[in-house]
Amino acid sequence: MSSTTTNPNNLSTVAAARMANPFWHRIRRNPLTLFGLFLLLLIVLMSVFAPWISPYDPTKIDIAGRFAPPSAEHWFGTDEVGRDIFTRILYGARLSLGVGVAVVVCAGLIGTVIGAISGYFGGKPDQVIMRLMDIVLAFPALVLAMAIAATLGPNLQNAMIAIAIIKIPVYVRLARAEALALREKLYVKAAVTFGIKPWRIIARHIVPNAISPVIIQVTLDIGDAILLVATLGFLGLGAQPPTPEWGAMISIGWKHLLDYWWYPTFPGLALFLASCGFNLVGDGIRDILDPRENRA
Amino acid sequence: MRQIIVKRLAMLVLVLFGVTLTTFLLTHVIPGDPARMMVGQRASEETLQEVRRQLGLDQPVWVQYFAYMGGLVKGDFGNSIRTQQPVIDDLVKFFPATLELALAAFFIALVIGIPLGILAAVKKDTGWDHTSRFFSIAGISTPVFWSGLVGILVFYKILGLLPSSGRIDLTVPPPDTITGLYLLDSLLTGNWTAFANSLWHLILPACTLAFAQLATVTRQVRASMLEVLSQDYIRTALANGIHGPVLLFRYALRNALIPTITVVGLSFGSLLGGAVVTETIFSWPGMGKYVVDSIAFLDFPAIMGFTFLISLGYVLINLIVDLTYYALDPQIKE
Repeated sequence: MSSTTTNPNNLSTVAAARMANPFWHRIRRNPLTLFGLFLLLLIVLMSVFAPWISPYDPTKIDIAGRFAPPSAEHWFGTDEVGRDIFTRILYGARLSLGVGVAVVVCAGLIGTVIGAISGYFGGKPDQVIMRLMDIVLAFPALVLAMAIAATLGPNLQNAMIAIAIIKIPVYVRLARAEALALREKLYVKAAVTFGIKPWRIIARHIVPNAISPVIIQVTLDIGDAILLVATLGFLGLGAQPPTPEWGAMISIGWKHLLDYWWYPTFPGLALFLASCGFNLVGDGIRDILDPRENRA
Repeated sequence: MRQIIVKRLAMLVLVLFGVTLTTFLLTHVIPGDPARMMVGQRASEETLQEVRRQLGLDQPVWVQYFAYMGGLVKGDFGNSIRTQQPVIDDLVKFFPATLELALAAFFIALVIGIPLGILAAVKKDTGWDHTSRFFSIAGISTPVFWSGLVGILVFYKILGLLPSSGRIDLTVPPPDTITGLYLLDSLLTGNWTAFANSLWHLILPACTLAFAQLATVTRQVRASMLEVLSQDYIRTALANGIHGPVLLFRYALRNALIPTITVVGLSFGSLLGGAVVTETIFSWPGMGKYVVDSIAFLDFPAIMGFTFLISLGYVLINLIVDLTYYALDPQIKE
């Protein structure tokens, strides 16, 4: 931190602000991260206030108004049964964003616990767990997610399970590496000497201290998870129509691309903006929290 | 070096065992009744029992696993429910199209990504760097199916410049098969009409697929270049009056490329995954389109055959990448 070496007598207001809240100061200095935050905030607010923003029902069918092009009435046009695409995107945001966040947070939690246990105890169980993770990582992510989702049956819940499974190994590795270092720390050794049970040490000392790289990875992974959910939806392995999920909307819409371009284009744009928002914010947070990446 | 290779090969065997175990679990154990899934809900009890016997599902699980492994070793993935052909024959037929698409995309991603990464590193924290960062993030944020759709809309529908589907026009006879890669085969046979036509068809799908990989390549090259440029020997070279392209390419890039190889090699795996989607959008007759068509029929032998083969390829690529890494890094060699 440069501010810590500054002569206190020469502190400008900027430096004072930086010292008061260095995290926010660094986010503010990065226009791309700010832009990402703005995008996310906009999408979340629009999806929360969807009933007030749009007068239409996302599932109401109006055959007479099918395939209407974008207009003042229907900003993003209508689909093959006359539903308003803009409205469906707004309601779909709740699902797509919610599912993306839920999957990554679950994978992060499960992975951290497994990794912490694996790293803390070491030995044979650690070897077995890590080889199992190597096996999951031996598959290209999308291909394994497809195979799992197809086996479990094509629906949104199974798509979420499939994506969580392919995401877990990364968190296991991160948390294990932290746990390996943490178990050598004096305070952990002291806890052991005092006869504190291993599960309590893991819960109270290892997991809370191993969580920071996991959080960075979670923010970086959400954008990818949203895309994966949508990709499985697009391939017919995720949310099923008429659910207003972005991937499922594109899955039907792309067959009408050449005649009714707006149908797959706008849900795709929403997907791109949401994923972009998460990736920009994740990238910014990594820059701030991870000093190694910072130097590069 | 030899020790590393032996260790790495032992790992390979272990991972391959894990991959077969996974596909086995997915086909034989997790589905409540794979036979019922294969014959459908309306099939009679006799058909069901017959299929169950044929698949060996009446045997203990470990016998089933060894039978399954025995089949895989012989390249027997079973018959596709949809095409009624042996899955391996189908996959072999569609493989060259996928390989051609993936290689072309990989080539494009490298040719554009490496210079962009260097530029971003050299001009760190300038407009160039921010622009390159924005495009990288846009690249990883863009769903492959959406960039494909926008590509078709712009370059096929609006501009009318490029075709939207297939490997070659129906009116142009494909080149004689040597490798199965149309571009290479038409070059080898001197069939220029086929060459131009298949190149024309390849551009849009390959660029779509490359766009997603571009981000990975650019980010990695930038990070490794920055790392290398901050090293003492670069400062020494600068102090000795070496600068410009000689410093960048001879001193910095060669070292920066070592970590890049790992990341880029691994990204070839996601390229194979992305090919599934790209092939669907562009009706590209490769393994990806084959597996997506199979998903609609819940054609498990086809889906698992594809999963196994792609993962095998992925594991082998990782092995080659690792070995190249060891070969290139003199510190490891010693």
